[in-house]
Parts: sequence; C-alpha cells; structure tokens
Amino acid sequence: MEFDIPLPEELELLEANSYYPEEEDDYLNFEEAPYPYDEEKEEEERVAQKELHVQQPDSPEINGIKRPRSLMSDPIVNLDEVSPASEKRSKIGDNRVEMEDEDWLRPSPVKEVVHAVEEEEEVIPPETIFSRYASEIDGECFPITAPDGGERVYAKFCRALGDEEVKKLDVKAKSNGLIKDPISVLLQQSEKEAFNKALQTSSEDQNETITAETPVMHEKLWVDKYSPSSFTELLSDEQTNREVLLWLKQWDASVFGSEIRSTTDEVLSALKRHSTTSHRQKSDSAFTRKNQFSRWSKGSSTYPKNSDVSNSNPTDNHDMWNKKSKLTGSPEQKILLLCGAPGLGKTTLAHVAAKHCGYRVVEINASDERSAAAIETKILDVVQMNSVTADSRPKCLVIDEIDGALGDGKGAVDVILKMVLAERKHATGKENINNGKTSSKKERRTAPLSRPVICICNDLYAPALRPLRQIAKVHIFVQPTVSRVVNRLKYICNMEGMKTRSVGLSALAEYTECDIRSCLNTLQFLNKKNETLNVIDIGSQVVGRKDMSKSLFDIWKEIFNKRKMKRERSNDASGSEAKKFDFLHTLVSSRGDYDLIFDGIHENILRLHYHDPMMDKTVSCLDCLGASDLLHRYIMRTQQMPLYVYFSSLVIPIHRRVAQIQRPTIEWPKSYHRCRTLMVEKQESLRSWYHKIPPYIGRHLSIKSFVEDSASPLLHILSPPTLRPVASHLLSERQKDQLAGLVMLMCSYSVTYKNAKPNPALSDLREDAASEATVLALDPHLFDFISFKGRQLKHHILTLAMKQVLVHEVEMQKILQASGGRSGILNNPEEVKKTNQELARKTIAASNECHRNPVTSKSPSVPVEKNATTSEAKSSDVKKASRTALNFFDRFRKSRKDYEDPEDVQKRATAKRDSRPLLFKFNEGFTNAVKRPVRMREFLL
Amino acid sequence: MLWVDKYRPKSLDKVVVHEDIAQNLKKLVTEQDCPHLLFYGPSGSGKKTLIVALLKQIYGASAEKVKVENRAWKIDAGSRTLDLELTILSSTNHVELTPSDAGFQDRYIVQEIIKEMAKNRPIDTKGKKGYKVLVLNEVDKLSREAQHSLRRTMEKYSSSCRLILCCNSSSKVTEAIKSRCLNVRINAPSKEEIVKVLEFIAKKESLQLPQGFAARIAEKSNRSLRRAILSLETCRVQNYPFTDNQVISPMDWEEYVAEIATDMMREQSPKSLFQVRGKVYELLVNCIPPEVIMKRLLHELLKKLDSELKLEVCHWAAYYEHRMRLGQKAIFHIEAFVAKFMSIYKNFLISTFG
Repeated sequence: MEFDIPLPEELELLEANSYYPEEEDDYLNFEEAPYPYDEEKEEEERVAQKELHVQQPDSPEINGIKRPRSLMSDPIVNLDEVSPASEKRSKIGDNRVEMEDEDWLRPSPVKEVVHAVEEEEEVIPPETIFSRYASEIDGECFPITAPDGGERVYAKFCRALGDEEVKKLDVKAKSNGLIKDPISVLLQQSEKEAFNKALQTSSEDQNETITAETPVMHEKLWVDKYSPSSFTELLSDEQTNREVLLWLKQWDASVFGSEIRSTTDEVLSALKRHSTTSHRQKSDSAFTRKNQFSRWSKGSSTYPKNSDVSNSNPTDNHDMWNKKSKLTGSPEQKILLLCGAPGLGKTTLAHVAAKHCGYRVVEINASDERSAAAIETKILDVVQMNSVTADSRPKCLVIDEIDGALGDGKGAVDVILKMVLAERKHATGKENINNGKTSSKKERRTAPLSRPVICICNDLYAPALRPLRQIAKVHIFVQPTVSRVVNRLKYICNMEGMKTRSVGLSALAEYTECDIRSCLNTLQFLNKKNETLNVIDIGSQVVGRKDMSKSLFDIWKEIFNKRKMKRERSNDASGSEAKKFDFLHTLVSSRGDYDLIFDGIHENILRLHYHDPMMDKTVSCLDCLGASDLLHRYIMRTQQMPLYVYFSSLVIPIHRRVAQIQRPTIEWPKSYHRCRTLMVEKQESLRSWYHKIPPYIGRHLSIKSFVEDSASPLLHILSPPTLRPVASHLLSERQKDQLAGLVMLMCSYSVTYKNAKPNPALSDLREDAASEATVLALDPHLFDFISFKGRQLKHHILTLAMKQVLVHEVEMQKILQASGGRSGILNNPEEVKKTNQELARKTIAASNECHRNPVTSKSPSVPVEKNATTSEAKSSDVKKASRTALNFFDRFRKSRKDYEDPEDVQKRATAKRDSRPLLFKFNEGFTNAVKRPVRMREFLL
Repeated sequence: MLWVDKYRPKSLDKVVVHEDIAQNLKKLVTEQDCPHLLFYGPSGSGKKTLIVALLKQIYGASAEKVKVENRAWKIDAGSRTLDLELTILSSTNHVELTPSDAGFQDRYIVQEIIKEMAKNRPIDTKGKKGYKVLVLNEVDKLSREAQHSLRRTMEKYSSSCRLILCCNSSSKVTEAIKSRCLNVRINAPSKEEIVKVLEFIAKKESLQLPQGFAARIAEKSNRSLRRAILSLETCRVQNYPFTDNQVISPMDWEEYVAEIATDMMREQSPKSLFQVRGKVYELLVNCIPPEVIMKRLLHELLKKLDSELKLEVCHWAAYYEHRMRLGQKAIFHIEAFVAKFMSIYKNFLISTFG
C-alpha cells in the first residue's frame, strides 16, 4: 500500500471541514477546535490539491476510501465561513492536544502503516472507547461526550489515518474536547508541520509531475475521475441517501455488533446517558441544523454523515439503539432495492454507502454469470461468512442491473427470495424449536442471509422483480435538482479547465434529464474537440440522446401531463411544441408496447379533468383510439409490421387535447382484460353446459345468441311464480302437469339446483335464500348472464322449499332416464315401456320418456303420442322405424326393393314386426357395430 | 322440453315459415345432387332447423342419431405439430362443427376434417358411392386463411363430401366460397309468419291465444322466431289465461341498454361517458355481441330523439359500427359512438335552448 503525501493532508482538511457545522451549532461557546493552521495551510493545500488531481488517477483508492476528492470541491468557501469561529476556538485546549499528541504520535505512524487496511477499531489503540461507541453507529465518525463538561464532540476516524501527525492531533483534540494550549503554541506547531509537509510534497511533486503531464492521464473518463467517493458527495436525494445508510446501519448489530458490545457495555450506557441528555437539549435546534446540512452537502463539504443521521432524528436513532442492544438481528427487510433511471447514481450510492459502513463491496452485474446456481454460490460466499476475519471487512453484495437480463436475472431473484424466505421460516421456526426440536434440521439447509444485499434496477415494475418488490425495501431514485447537477458540473469543468457557462450547463442537465453520467461524457467529448457548450444547438451538438425507454406509467404520465415550460414558452412557443412533439414520439416509439399504451390511455382518459363542454375533445381522442385499434388489427392481419411506426403519432393529438398541468392519477389498464377474461370464462361455462345438454337440443343453441335471445325467457320459464311448494299429492292435476313439465325441462336442459357458497355477486340476486346457510343456485349460473351491475333483477325466484322439491324430482328423473336407457339395450321394449309407465305413474314426470326412446314409437299400443308431438308424428315415426330397423345387411336387401311402394314397405315392416314379438335393438348412443334382429330363442338355446 | 324444441319441424315437409325454401331444398336432395350450400340470415330465423331437416331428408332417421365428442387432432404443420381439440357433433353420415372455436388455427381443422371425411367415404345402399356432409357453423368468423384453404378442398373432395355452411352474414365470406356454394338466404320471419307459428303452437297446447296478444309478442320479438316462442311460453308460465294487455317480460339486457340510453340523454360529459363505459363492459362480459349492443343502443336512442337528429345519429352509428367490425376492441368504438352522440346532442340542445 503506497501512501501519497498530499492525500492524508486532504483527509485531515476534510475532517477539519467536517466539524464545522457541528461546532457551529453546539460549541460556539466552547472554543476548542484546533484550526490555527487552517489559514496558513490554505495556500499550500491548494497547491497540493492541484497536484493531487493529477495524481489521483494513480491512486484513486486508498484503503478502500475515495474520500479526498470530496473536499476539493470547495474548501475555501467553507473555511471562510467558519474561520472566525474556529480561530477563537483553537485557543483552548491547545497545549493539551500537543502533549497528548506527543505521547502517542511516535508509535502510531508505524503502526498505522502496518494496519492501514485493518478495521478501524484495531487501528487506534488509545481511543478505543470512543471509537467503539462510534462504530456502533458508524464506521468513521462518532459523537463523544466529554465526561466533565457534558458537551458533545464528533471525532472522526479514518482508516487511512496515522501516517500524519496533524491528523492524530486533530482527532485527539476533538475527542477530548479540552484544548488548553494557547494559540501561539498551536500556531508554531502547525507551522512546523506545514513546513515539513511542504517539504514532503515538493519532493513528492517531482516524482508526480512527470506522470501528471503524460497525456494518458487525460484519457481517464471524467465520470470515473470525479465519481463521488464519500457519502456526502453524492448527488442523489438526501433523503434516499440517508435511508439507505440507515438501512445498512441496521445490519451493524448482526454484522459487527456482538464483539463490540461485549467489551463496552458499561461505557456505552454511560455515554448513552450523556448523549441522550445532550440530545434532549439540542432537539429543538434539530430543524435549523437540518437545513444547514443540506446547505453543507450542497457545497460539497464533508460532513460526517453519522452525526447527520443521529442529529436529524435523535429519537429514531436511540430507538434503534435500544432495539439493537436487545436483539442482534438484522433489519426487517433483508433486501434493499434501488430503482431509478440510468445515470442518477444508484450504483455509486450503493458502493459508497457500503464502504462507508465498513463493508467490502462485492458486485454482481450483468456481465457476470447469472444463473441461479452461480448466483447462489456467490451469495453463499459473500453472505454467510459470519465471522469477520482479521484482514477483511465483511462483505456487502451489490447485484447490479437485476432487471437487465430477465431470464438470467430471475435466477438471482429466486435465490434471494429463497434465502429471505428461509430466514422468515427460521424466525418462525425458532418459536417451534422451543416446543419441539423437530424443525431445526430443515432450516439448516438454506442458510439465512446474514449480510446486506443491495439490488439495483432501472425498471421497478419489471415482471421478474414482482416477488422481490414485496419483500424488499424499495427506494426510488428521483432526479437531483438541476442546480445541484450544474454545481457539480461547473466544479468539474473548473477542475478540467473547461470554459462553460452555467446556462449551458443547466441546459445540458435538463436535456439529459439530470443524468450526470451522460452530462460528463458529453462535456468530456466537447472538451476533447475543443468546442464549447452551446446553449442553442445543444440538441445537435451533443453527441446523442440515450435511448430512453421509460416505464409505461411514465409514458402515460407524459401523455396526460402538460409541463409548465416558462422559459421555453417565452422564447418561442412553436419551438417548444415541436420539441414536445418529438419528445413524445421518441418516447412512445422507444417503448414499443403500443397495445398496452393505448389501453392505458383508454383506461385513464375519462378520469382526467379536462375542460370539454361540447365533448369535442373526447370524441377526437376516442377516434384516435379507434384508429389505433384499426391499425393494430390491420397490422396483425396483414403482418405489415413497418406500419407500427405510425402508432406513436397517434398519441400526440391525444396529448394535445387532454394534457393537463396537474398530475394525473394513473391506473394500470385492467378493465379491458378483466372484461375479456370474464367473457371467456362465461363462454366456457356456457359451452360446457351445452355439452351436457343432449345433442338434439344442444345443437340448436349458440353461444353467441343465447343471452341475446333465450336467457331471460328461459329463466322465467324455469321459475314459474304459480308453483307452490307443497307435497305432490296436494297438487291439482294441472299443477302436477306443470311440475312434471318443469322437471322434464330441467332434465333436458341439464339444469339443476345445487348448493352453492353464498357468492357475494349472487347474494343480492337471491334475496331471501341468501340469508340461509344453504343456498341453492342454478347449476350453470344462468342468473349471472342476465344480471348487470346496478340493476335489480325482475325475475321471480323460487323459494328454497320449491327448489329442494325440484332438486329431488330432477335427480329422480335422471335416475329413471339412466335405467330406462339401460333396460332398452338389455331387453325388449315392452318391458321398458312397462317399467316406464310404472315409473311415470310414480313420478309425475316420466311421461316424456317414450319420446326419448325411438324404439317405443314402434308399438302403437303404448300411449307414445301422449305428448310426443304432432299428428304427423305417427307416420314419420313409422317411417323412421322402418329405417332404423334395417341393419347393415338389410341395406342391401332394401336396395333391391327401393322402388317399391312405401305403403308396401310399411306393411311388410309391420308384418315382420308382428312375426317376432321380441326385438332387441340398439337403442341409444352411437356404434358402428353390426346390428341385426335376433330372436329370443336364439338366446335361449 | 321447451316449446321451441318441441315444435321444431323435424322434416322439410313440416317447415312452416320458410316453406318455399324447404320445398326447393327437398327437390334438390331428391334429385340426388346436392351442391355445397351456404345458409345465411339473422339468428332465430331457422337456419339450423332447416339444416337439420335437410340432413334428415338426405339420410333419413340416422341423421338424428348424433353424438357429441371432443376430438383431438395432431396436425403436422410444417416444422411443428399442433394439438387441437374441438367439439364435434356427428352422425354416421355427417359431421357438424364450429371451426372458429379453434381460433386462428381454424384452417388446420377445416383441412384435416375434410380430408378425413374424404378418406372414409360411405358406401351407399345402392352400392354406389355416396357423400358425407360437413356442416360448418359460423363461417363468417373463419379466418381468411381458413376460407382460402376451404375453397380448394371444397373442389377437390366434392365427389365425396358436401359442405353446408352456416353464418349470420355472407359479407364476411369470401367471394370465392360464395361462388362455389348455392347461397340460401334465410330471412327473418315476418310478423305474420310469427303469429301463425304462435297460433299453431297454441292450438297444439290447447291454449286460448287472443289475436292481439300474439301480434304483440311478434312485435316484441324482433322478428326472431325463437324469441317469440320463448316469450309465449314465458307468458304462459307467468299468467294464464292470457289477457290482451299482459306484460311481456322484456330481455334484461335490452332494458340495460335502455338505461344506458337514458343516461346518455341525461348528461353529456366525460364523467357520464365513464359510467356508460362501465355498463357497456357489463354487457360485453355477459356474452352479448357488440354489434347487437350497438344496434340496440341506436334503436333506444332513436326512440327518444328529435327527428332532425335521427339521420345524423344513424350515420355515425353506421360509421362506428363499420369501424368496430374492422377493429378488434369493440369497447373503443362503442365508446366513440357514445361520445359522438353526446357531442351531437349537446350541440343540438345548446342551439335549440340557448
């Protein structure tokens, strides 16, 4: 590990800066901070910084932190702001610092160099008390309450510390909070130090300058060069940053926690007591402080984020603290899911935050193998190493672009889900273990997650992520403000010596939608070409737009939302319109999913609040939708895919008509698909019902026109209002007939009543029956077909008792039919008829039986025609009979006499029939088997 | 058994409503030369009844012995094999099916079945080769490809198999197929014919049917014979003996459409359009074809409109119905029509009442 001399310097300055806000707030009266040399060192440092920028590419990471860059952003401003206070402060506690300083300065450099990579706790022997406490909240900085005064000081730890005396001094001074040295001593000291440093840097400089001037250095991408290395440099939303960090911090208990707490329990409690009191005092000022934070972080000061967290919501922090001391568990949501547009800094945040908390980042991205097995081993490697070995920090897994390759990404998602669920089971299993130890073995198999896992995606609503979304803690990145991005850009441009105007930069930022990566790439490109950023032709000059494919919700939002464009409006309205036109066009066409886009428009358009007194807008919008439908159908039919390009232009008139400034509430288009699936369901139920109906009736029914023509009357007929639920012998003759007819009808249409669960949709239909426990509903739910939302059914509904009677009768009838059919096959029709008649007498309903039995029509002695239709039935029946009587061989016989008189045939048929009193006939169903009449005696032989 | 089924004519001789057509068909069949047939006409006019009667005329009683089965076909379509399943209704001599149920793969069904039928052609009683009949329902819903594949196979296998096609509108059947068939238009029965049928049934059931009442049922039936008979039976169930001014219970969906029309007349705004949309969805869910909804809606609106608006509204209804038939998502077009009507009506209201 090599150390650059200027680097520690910077670190130190960074620390110095980092104390300002806190001290300003808390310690204006207790002047203690050692800033005597700040002013003097400024000059040197600026020089050093310059050099450093050149060097940095060489050593971008030292000890795993990329801290130094941050403070270069604007150290001077910071110093200026604070300097009056700090000067005063430095007076106190000076000598003490110096003394203590000397004590442990000597060993430390050696030690530090050796242990540079080690855990912070191990790095500094004397401060362990403070550091332990701090590490519980944070790896790098910590609040300290002096035992005598009760004031709080924030001391900062750095893994890189130790090579520089000044730094140690600094820390020491802070942590003690009692600097008693006079300013003069301190000044002297610092001067000496500065001198030494100057010497060192100059010597270093000579080596470095050579490399610095090589052109290779410039080839480094600005994006990498200036990527934030510390938490406070992040451009992304403060809130998100903090929450991410908080989440990571919650792991501390399980990852670092145990050994730390074991040593320092009493110290901890003492300190906690102090800090709570101080916090209580300070809680009023929390708000003002918070405001300052944002200012500070904007000015890219390096503010210790730990204090940030703890101060902005002290109570939260303490709650967490208490919780943690109780249980060593990890946070409730094991997975963090970051999502947002590209270039907003998700990956950077994940890396920075993880490093900040003392983790080593292991990244899996789209370039790695992402099969489930590979991911699993990797995660197991990373996540399940519970012991923290001496030379490595615990790992934190970052799965980048988890939504990227859906097929592969799904493997990763599944593995993670499995582990998280295993954890859950484990948690519940623990309770079980108390009762019986049976389940313990099972849980061993899939080990739980014990390290933080951060997943990063662009599209939160990617289908593969759906399960992950439910269990993960989701953070959605929003765009940073333009001014923030511009500040950063400006700073970088200054560093690179590129001349830009903030107008141009802000235009660029707006154009790329605050995608700082693309901004930087563009700038670097322009710089390379020695061009300057031009506001007007940014569109043509800039290398190109990235291919933005936004989520569907964003597209709908764009369509329905009109942006207030003050500036552009004032410039030229037509230009902005054209731009909007272009924008929407590319937006929609890059997404592609036209069908769904138009469904979404259709779903949401009527819920917008646009002013449309004459409905003109609505009409034209719906016409556009209709046109899109026609186009879609046409394309599908003719397979002319090139026509798809015209879809996106259909969106624009809709946008022009209905776009509003207020934000629309957009819903996913469900209703159309709901309608379709329901319709298909109902059609299916109709179809399966038709199959149950005997074909001579069923063939005449069509699914298409059933509801249109027949449903309502059929239901009316099925539930006659005149039918009374009384015992059958009490019924009058006519009522008996009616009941019999109804039962026959229900049988032939295979409709029956069945016990159904009281369906909420149905319950309002059967008003009286719904209250009872058993609800009898029509078996094919025919009532569904005529029930419409918001409409009362006018159908008479049978009483429960009546339904029960009907169910009984129908069942009986069905059994009769089945047995009748069987007997028809087995033996002679006479018997069938006889039994049939008997049965008919028993149940009122069987009168129709003979009609269903073509054989029966043969003997005129039986009252076949009781209800077997018309007068001409007789003749046709006879004819039919003569036909059906023919078997396969008869056909040939018959062909001879084909031209005989039909009367003759008939006569002969009757004669033949009379000659054999018993007839076996294939009666029902369908067969290709040879059929012929057989005498009874042939059986008897 | 419902009266509709009970009094359905079983043979061509007994057909009452389309007697002339039935006689012509009978002549065709008895001359032993039946061409391919294409029946078309509105629902409830008796296409199916005629077809069944015709089959009986050709094959005698065996045509009535039908069985329903789910048949699965394995079809070798170039590189892959398709598994299709369809319900078919068949007797020894004929097969009846609705190929459009197979969706966009309907043409394989058509080809496969025709080939299969041609393969095992029946031997007639006279020893000479007869023909089988293939009845295809809802031909207008067949995809274009299926229709194209149909037209060649029709010719190729015409010696062994006859096609009887059945559909509601011949406009969606390609010219090529139409020209290969004998087109038989079955129009909706006139009111007088319906009354005749109703009276016939009443006589058979020995009911007293007042003249005016039968006329009213016929009036309400939209010239659909099935519907007329069903409502007669409904009335019989609900109240007998009939009175002249007895309520003929209307179709529920028609009342629902009437509600929609009332909504449209009452308020013209995107909000009310949104409510209308919900109701139209309800109708669609309940398996009511969108064309029928559109037609009924126009019917209800015309009842309430001023005469000067009628022409315009009719024009737009036709316009949007045309688009609906071209397109796929009926709801878009129905809604567009509703919006258009609202716009027209509101303009009219403002210009009239200021």
